[in-house]
Amino acid sequence: MTITAFELFDTDTDITTTRTLLHESIPLTGSIVSGTYGAWLSEGNIKNYSHGMFQSVYDYPYLSSSANHIFDIAVGYDESSALSGSSNRVQQAKKINMYNQFSQVLLGYTGSNNTVRKFELDLSLDNSGSFPTTVPLITGSTVCTDGVFINFTRLITKDQIKMGTFSITVGYGAWAQSFGTAGQRVLSDSKTTTSSGSAETLGGDYGVLYDTGSTPHGVVFYESGIVLLSGSAFKSSSAPSSIASQFFRHPTLGFQTYEQAITGSSISGSCDAVRHRIRNISFNNNTEINSTIYFCRVPHNKYNHSSNPTYLSSSTIRVKNVASDQPIAYITTIGLYGHESGQLLAIAKLSEPLRKDPTNELTLRVRLDY
Amino acid sequence: MAFLDNSGDIILDAVLTDTGRRKMANGTFRIKSFALGDDEIDYSLYNKNHPSGSAYYDLEILQTPIFEATTQTHAGINYGLMQTTATDLLYLPTFHVNALREQQNRGAVTGSNGMYYVTDASNDITTATIGDILTKRTAGAIKYMQGTTAATNYVLMESGLATGWDAVPVGSEANRTSYLIANDLVESGVYVFYDNRFFEGVMGLGSMAKFAAMGSSDSIELGGMVEGNTQTISTGLDNYSTMAVGAIANKVYRSASPNTERLWSVISGPRANAFVISPIIKSGLDAEYARYGTLNHTIVASDGSHTTRYIDTTIYVQGVLTPGTLQIPIRIIRRG
Repeated sequence: MTITAFELFDTDTDITTTRTLLHESIPLTGSIVSGTYGAWLSEGNIKNYSHGMFQSVYDYPYLSSSANHIFDIAVGYDESSALSGSSNRVQQAKKINMYNQFSQVLLGYTGSNNTVRKFELDLSLDNSGSFPTTVPLITGSTVCTDGVFINFTRLITKDQIKMGTFSITVGYGAWAQSFGTAGQRVLSDSKTTTSSGSAETLGGDYGVLYDTGSTPHGVVFYESGIVLLSGSAFKSSSAPSSIASQFFRHPTLGFQTYEQAITGSSISGSCDAVRHRIRNISFNNNTEINSTIYFCRVPHNKYNHSSNPTYLSSSTIRVKNVASDQPIAYITTIGLYGHESGQLLAIAKLSEPLRKDPTNELTLRVRLDY
Repeated sequence: MAFLDNSGDIILDAVLTDTGRRKMANGTFRIKSFALGDDEIDYSLYNKNHPSGSAYYDLEILQTPIFEATTQTHAGINYGLMQTTATDLLYLPTFHVNALREQQNRGAVTGSNGMYYVTDASNDITTATIGDILTKRTAGAIKYMQGTTAATNYVLMESGLATGWDAVPVGSEANRTSYLIANDLVESGVYVFYDNRFFEGVMGLGSMAKFAAMGSSDSIELGGMVEGNTQTISTGLDNYSTMAVGAIANKVYRSASPNTERLWSVISGPRANAFVISPIIKSGLDAEYARYGTLNHTIVASDGSHTTRYIDTTIYVQGVLTPGTLQIPIRIIRRG
């Protein structure tokens, strides 16, 4: 049946728009990344692809329809990196492709040769990095020409990662004991706020990930939901070489340093090593909600009677004894219509009936989010 | 469709309907008006005799759990709140089917097993028309509407205050004026919603129709039906279209002696309107019987057994001004 009693909105006074930012806290424990759904290297929640360009991490064995895709991991290096070479390089072309792909999307091209820009661990993309000399870098370069890329899905980053909330704990200890007080570092964008501590690039705003000693080890691109970790994140200048040589335990080749893993293992192998060294990740996401608010003004002298069949008993209004009694109706539903022909475009339900009689006037605020 | 949590503050749960999402997609989404509904409310729970006093009259109603909003347009508001500004109304008109014998002789039909029959003559043969089969049915003749623009039979309905025979207010002309006309509760037409897969329209009363009786005189002219006017209003029901058909003044009045009102009317109090419907079947219904209906239905008639097929559907009637509604169950029946 159709409705014929419509109340027109005054577009100047009854309809307004608003914008709201919602935040969710996203904690990702390392046990999901490695070890929960099967033995390491055969976890059901880790998906490898035949192309071998990246590895996907799910929150549940990915063959299940309940599984949610959380993030992908890839490693790569620039062709100018010292890691790039002509021999003993596994999947070198793909690793260079990965670095270039992230770089061209997040930083873009520059220079007369129109080459992709290099990632830097500071906020000025001036091709002169600020790596502290205490951190053993891979290349000794002033820019970050290699690294581990973690790109989070839109499912968990929503519109973007909230600035100043990202934190990742990685281990640089021996393979058998990757974490611990002496073998792990917490990297966070604690120096970034919504008003400072970030720089804007083609890929959006990014902030630098510092350890507790203010040493940069990576960057986080907030809108893109992508984190780049420098190789330095998995190393320590104070650790003995025996530990540094245990970045990855290759199934057949044995222990490898970061450099050996990046160059001598496949991308998925390096990703396996990185997963083994992620203890936890946490951040807040942002969701921007644009809303239209409709103020449904119900005047005192209308909507006090109902066409509900139970409203009458023998044609007599049930809520009255005599004609002079006040009519009463109870509102449960608000229908929003496109025009007078009764096209119901949106519907709102009250959680409990609202009494309406001639002594009260209601303004019902219906918010539609987009 | 779960219930909304009503344990705390009042909240509003809003969703776009399927129509709204479609309009959002094609760029024509624009909300212009609102309406209010109370479909979940059972007003019979309003207890005017609650021993604890008037503050408790609507206690049960206010505790009614409300369903969460759904995206289905037809599940939105079926019974809306009315805009009438009068506060001194005690009565509102209701709709009733008039199946009195006096009307049957004038072409109105009576529901058989709750169904109103509409014949589809497209498979008639000279020796066995579907009308003959229904008329000769051994279990009792079934009256029917002819399903064409030339139909002479109809479902007759009345609106008015069914307050009880001999109860106040009685069905007098003065009460019609004071209780109905003065409160704008007399219709000039009613909306008829029909399934456009089976019907191409609905016939209703023409301008010359009359429905008047008082004492020993009567003036009832319900023939000469005309097709209703197509309306653009939406029912929210898939495949349903809307027409408006005429509603004439119901001038059957109570009189002192003889009081013949019960011969003509089923409304026991002041009467507002009379109106009829007679649906027009779409031509070429054939596959629809197999798809939506029942085949090989046998009717035993005085001249033998006949195989028929039928489709059951519902026609909805709703007042334009008043809250009256009726559902008319229809059976479209064809020989063969």
